[in-house]
Amino acid sequence: MKSQSRKFLRPVMRESLISWCLFPGTIILLLFTLLPFAWMLCISFFTRPDFFNGADSHFTFSNYWDVLSSDSLHFLDFVKNSLIISGLSALLSSLIAALAAYAVSRLHFRGRIVIPLAILAMSMFPQISIVGYLYQSFSSLGWINTYAALVLPYIALTVPLALWITLSYFMQIPLDLDKAALVDGAGRLKTLFKIILPIAAPGIFSGFLLVFIQCFNEFLFAILLTIDYHAQTLPVGIALFEGTHGEIPWGNLMAASTMASIPLILLALLFQRFIVSGLAGGAVKG
Amino acid sequence: MNDAYSIELQGISKSYTRSGTTVEVLKKIDLTVMAGEFFVLLGPSGCGKSTLLNLCAGLDVPSEGKILLGEKRIVDIEAGICLQPYERDAAMVFQSYALYPHMTVAENLAFPLRNRKPKLTKHEIETAVKQTAEMLQIHTLLDRKPAELSGGQRQRVAIGRALVRKPKIFLLDEPLSNLDAQLRHEMRAQLKTLQEKLGITTIYVTHDQTEAMTLANRLAVLNQGQVQQLGTPSEVYKNPVNPFVAQFIGSPPMNLLKCNYSDSKKSLLLPDANQEIILQDTDLDQISKLLIPEADSFLLGVRPEDLIIVDASNARLKVELSVIENLGSEWLGYTYIGSKTLIVRSSRELKKGNICLSFASENMHLFPSIT
Repeated sequence: MKSQSRKFLRPVMRESLISWCLFPGTIILLLFTLLPFAWMLCISFFTRPDFFNGADSHFTFSNYWDVLSSDSLHFLDFVKNSLIISGLSALLSSLIAALAAYAVSRLHFRGRIVIPLAILAMSMFPQISIVGYLYQSFSSLGWINTYAALVLPYIALTVPLALWITLSYFMQIPLDLDKAALVDGAGRLKTLFKIILPIAAPGIFSGFLLVFIQCFNEFLFAILLTIDYHAQTLPVGIALFEGTHGEIPWGNLMAASTMASIPLILLALLFQRFIVSGLAGGAVKG
Repeated sequence: MNDAYSIELQGISKSYTRSGTTVEVLKKIDLTVMAGEFFVLLGPSGCGKSTLLNLCAGLDVPSEGKILLGEKRIVDIEAGICLQPYERDAAMVFQSYALYPHMTVAENLAFPLRNRKPKLTKHEIETAVKQTAEMLQIHTLLDRKPAELSGGQRQRVAIGRALVRKPKIFLLDEPLSNLDAQLRHEMRAQLKTLQEKLGITTIYVTHDQTEAMTLANRLAVLNQGQVQQLGTPSEVYKNPVNPFVAQFIGSPPMNLLKCNYSDSKKSLLLPDANQEIILQDTDLDQISKLLIPEADSFLLGVRPEDLIIVDASNARLKVELSVIENLGSEWLGYTYIGSKTLIVRSSRELKKGNICLSFASENMHLFPSIT
């Protein structure tokens, strides 16, 4: 194969072909992913969504103003719900994951290898398969439309992700450090909190970020287990926007979507390093 | 320091069971490390030396046996005693240094002191850290993180962290292996001086026989979980008790040749070389001292530096040198006898070709042949 391709294209030509394709390829890929966002931005800044052929469409901030000021849309409630639910889930999930990762990487017990794999396998279950049961049990508990109704399933949903990201960090921390701390007179708990957790902090944090993003975007549980703005999150809130006459308020919808994207974009920009290293599964040292 | 502690290991065994098979790492080890002694555990990798050190530190629990620190039983498996690491007052230096990467040098040094019970005051901790840092000449590095230090500096910090609390025993697990050759030399000498000054009972684990020879007051050669020989470096060097010790100590290692003893001709037959060594009376004394009466096949050991070049009339062995190495201060000549390499070490220049060799009776070592 190799010799054939060499005959077909000399290395120099291959190099130049790659560099010629790279640039347009990147542009096409960027357009493909970013065009919907550009579209979203444009619509959010015009009075009518069909601004290309409508003569009476013009540039405006009114969509944003409407979304933020209208009491009936409850946009700020959704923002609050989303931040609290995602933040709380991410916090608890990464805490559980950190303790689990410590146990799996440090302690010798039966099922040390099997448990993380089983947790990973469980994360493969489709969400839809448990949502019916969740709805029933939460409604009998009276938890529908509360934060707990989303935080608890979100923790269960995201612990596998957080565990595997954190675990790959914990595995990189040499066992000699634990031994040194033990000899230096620290007990197991002190070793965990003073030595291991601070060193694993970047890993735990990247787990936290990815879980936060996953919870922030989650839709299925959010739409089925909540009823109104007391617990609805941003994706659900925006999806259920309604105009005063039952029409779809495109401008408001897109303005709200744009604002909903901002926290995630900020997170991604600020903590790029952690997110990439978390996704690379600890292959890159933090 | 005047209050040093001895360490006594009595019948220490350790075995692991992994997936149904039991592996015996240590087999009935009896050892006494005297108070204030620099004791070296020497052996190839996998011989159980690090496990033994972990057992002393309390990082692992033996399967059976007792360990006494001074008069105090710190481990007695039969009586169900096994003190936690922090109850033993042992300090340990690791091959990887194991410095806490998120703490500064000062915090690293202070960490063992902060865990002390009863609690030390802030002032006491600061003074101890400062003193130790000055002793090891790391006082200018106190605000740095381990990642900003060179290998040698990290090593000093690791030693400092161990010594800052004035431990009863000082355990070192191959502490110099990660340093480059020159630095290792330097640190070796400093470590020895430091230990002599402080007089802390020290157990040092290494696979490097040079380190063992230069550092130890006494050493134990370990192989396959058993103590092969115990003694001062020169005892072990001069009178190795078995072929393993003979080959493990000394660089280049001792030459070992298979030979048969002929009682009638009073000679040693080297089947691989097709040569005969006529024995002198002094040799026979040596043989009668060492030889198991019935055995007629055994190993003849001579250290490379004990082989002397002589003229043909005094030759005990005739060989052809095929490879010559010039080490600057000395020369090494290699020859092959059967599948075995024979090394000659000389302070004078060696040349390829046939030479005649001899050795003194007292430099001749005989071991039962292991076939």
